[in-house]
Amino acid sequence: MELTPEERDLQVEQLYARWLDAATRIAFAISAAAFLAYAAGLLPAHVPPDLLPQVWGLPVDEFLRRTGSPSGWGWLALAGHADYLNLACVALLALVTALCYLRILPALAGRGERLQAAMAALQVLVLLAAASGFFAGGR
Amino acid sequence: MEAATTPWWIWPIALFAVSFAIGIVAVLAGVGGGVLFVPIVGSFFPFHLDFVRGAGLLFALAGTLAAGPLLLRGGLASLRLIIPLALAGSITSFAGALVGLSMSAAVIQTSLGVTVIAIALLIWHSKEAYGASIVESDALGAALRMRGRYDDPAEGVRIDWRTHRTIAGFASFGAIGFLGGMFGLGAGFANVPALNLLMAAPLKVAIGSSGMIISVINSSAAWVYIHRGAVLPLLVVPAILGVMLGSRIGAQLLSSTPATTVRRLVIAVLLLAGVRALLRGLGLWN
Repeated sequence: MELTPEERDLQVEQLYARWLDAATRIAFAISAAAFLAYAAGLLPAHVPPDLLPQVWGLPVDEFLRRTGSPSGWGWLALAGHADYLNLACVALLALVTALCYLRILPALAGRGERLQAAMAALQVLVLLAAASGFFAGGR
Repeated sequence: MEAATTPWWIWPIALFAVSFAIGIVAVLAGVGGGVLFVPIVGSFFPFHLDFVRGAGLLFALAGTLAAGPLLLRGGLASLRLIIPLALAGSITSFAGALVGLSMSAAVIQTSLGVTVIAIALLIWHSKEAYGASIVESDALGAALRMRGRYDDPAEGVRIDWRTHRTIAGFASFGAIGFLGGMFGLGAGFANVPALNLLMAAPLKVAIGSSGMIISVINSSAAWVYIHRGAVLPLLVVPAILGVMLGSRIGAQLLSSTPATTVRRLVIAVLLLAGVRALLRGLGLWN
């Protein structure tokens, strides 16, 4: 039986919802576990929590200079430290949407929804461009 | 309380508690938590506004990601609206984040104060309920097939809806995205009127789609703050956990709490935080 346009829309939305649900749960669980390890001092931190009150009132550029912290993708090299491991986990949240869009792209294209598929592809490019850090000007 | 002499662990606990309370109130008042989080934490906590805005974006992002599956499964969020409008908003929110991080703290505090006071006045004067209206699609809306159908169990009806004023809608989401990126807000307070009053989407579809649009828009701007080093996990994670728990409690209280009381509370809190941010920005109350 042929599906109505509304039923076909619903199929794509259900697909998006399933991936969003799973990806968000995983990202939250990882973030919470990493934060516990950070707050409990199980891993060394680049900036220990007890020193943060001296610098968290500074503008971000001054904070980076005083703590010798990186910007751009430089933080990945410090992912062995509890604070930057936490940052990596939090960054997963900002990737969830791109993942969901990538998942529904074939479904939109397969239904002949060229305009929707093109906009979804453009959205993925915007999110990946933002994630690349190329335009963010980090050092 | 003097930040330098207070044990560091007090602040994440306080942040968790405030975020928990914001989560409850935001659900009850029908506003995004980010619009309360940034002015309150920025005005009453010792963190620099750069870090507060980074945390605010992730705070709003986390809340909308968590709610997204329920909204989509219930037919309350439409990808027909989300995909085009979020594309406009995510490009401008990225630009807004770059502009916001290049401005001085005083300028951003002053602008935030003015914006938050304006939001409080907007909520004060806005209609408490928006009726669904049946409109004809404009040419662009028809090309993008901005229409849908949802079943409203509360009313026991099936609603076929369409939107119009698509170009004005794109422009609105462009402006909303820019402000959201600049100030680290979720901007649900503006998304819902833009979808409902301007484009004529039914209220429930407008609220549901607004949440999903925030999740896309903030994903873009969040990267600017992450790459600039303006995301401190010690702020972000307690805030995220607090708002998630608070939102659940708020959802449970939704049916038994008078909406008018909560709305007045939100307006009062926004005015207080807005005035505080404005006076801090002008150097009159530090």
